[in-house]
Amino acid sequence: MTQTDPHMKDLDALLASSQAPAPSQDLMVRILHDALAEQPVPMARQRRSWMARIAPLIGGWQGLGGLVAATCAGLWIGISPPDNLPEGLSAFLNVQDMTVQQDPGLNGFGWDLEEG
Amino acid sequence: MTMPLDAEPALEDATLLRRYAQGDAAAARLLTARLTPRVYAHAVRVLGDRAEAEDVSQEAMLRLWRMAPDWRAGEAKVSTWLYRVTANLCTDRLRRTRTAPLDDAAEPSDPAPGAEARLQASARMDALQAALNTLPDRQKQAVVLRHIEGLGNPDIAEILGISTEAVESLTARGKRALATALSGARAELGYTDDTD
Repeated sequence: MTQTDPHMKDLDALLASSQAPAPSQDLMVRILHDALAEQPVPMARQRRSWMARIAPLIGGWQGLGGLVAATCAGLWIGISPPDNLPEGLSAFLNVQDMTVQQDPGLNGFGWDLEEG
Repeated sequence: MTMPLDAEPALEDATLLRRYAQGDAAAARLLTARLTPRVYAHAVRVLGDRAEAEDVSQEAMLRLWRMAPDWRAGEAKVSTWLYRVTANLCTDRLRRTRTAPLDDAAEPSDPAPGAEARLQASARMDALQAALNTLPDRQKQAVVLRHIEGLGNPDIAEILGISTEAVESLTARGKRALATALSGARAELGYTDDTD
């Protein structure tokens, strides 16, 4: 065979016998320190405010903002309804018609007189 | 009663990483003990410098910790991902530093009685490292992963981002270059050309 065969055979043996260099204890400690410093906090240990717990149920902060805006608008319309509401909306809001009906001047006594 | 993680050798790296992301400190310790030696050994072989290898190992592991919450199981092996990060960090370092030529390797010492075999083994390892340092970065990474760390060609292809055919070519050329680099020192290292 060629002249390189014993070279390759020796090289294979050399590579196979190559021992992995071991990391120092100091490096292991530094890496473990990094690991613990970067480790996410477990869910059980996280303290979440009541607002943070409720917000996801109503669509997050966007949903909460919409809810607050709708509440304020409803309160405002209820306290001070605008003059020209559509008829359907007026009925829905139970706005009283301010027209004063004229009293025809009759009462129960008058009717009694006419009938004798 | 829960078993300690050390008693579960078959626990996969991905499972440990998920536990780490959930706040399990024992998983952090086990992953550190399991993966750091592999990362460090690869970095030392490729860089030929222990201090640089320590920096690379710490940086690679730091990236692992930070990626843990976003790790998606089944996409890749944790070790393969970590080797890829390490290989890229080593490549970046090698671009900034010059590799030591073979002549800079420690000369084999005169053997003292009783310590000849140990000294010769040490000299051979030094010569191997010096020969590795003469290889181009990609060849060196491929040879180290294949012939020293014993990874399969598909894994190496994924780590280096090349095809398995390219891995085969790299490792073959790398081994020939290593043999050539070591050929001049064969006699000093105790090798002979006898094939009996």
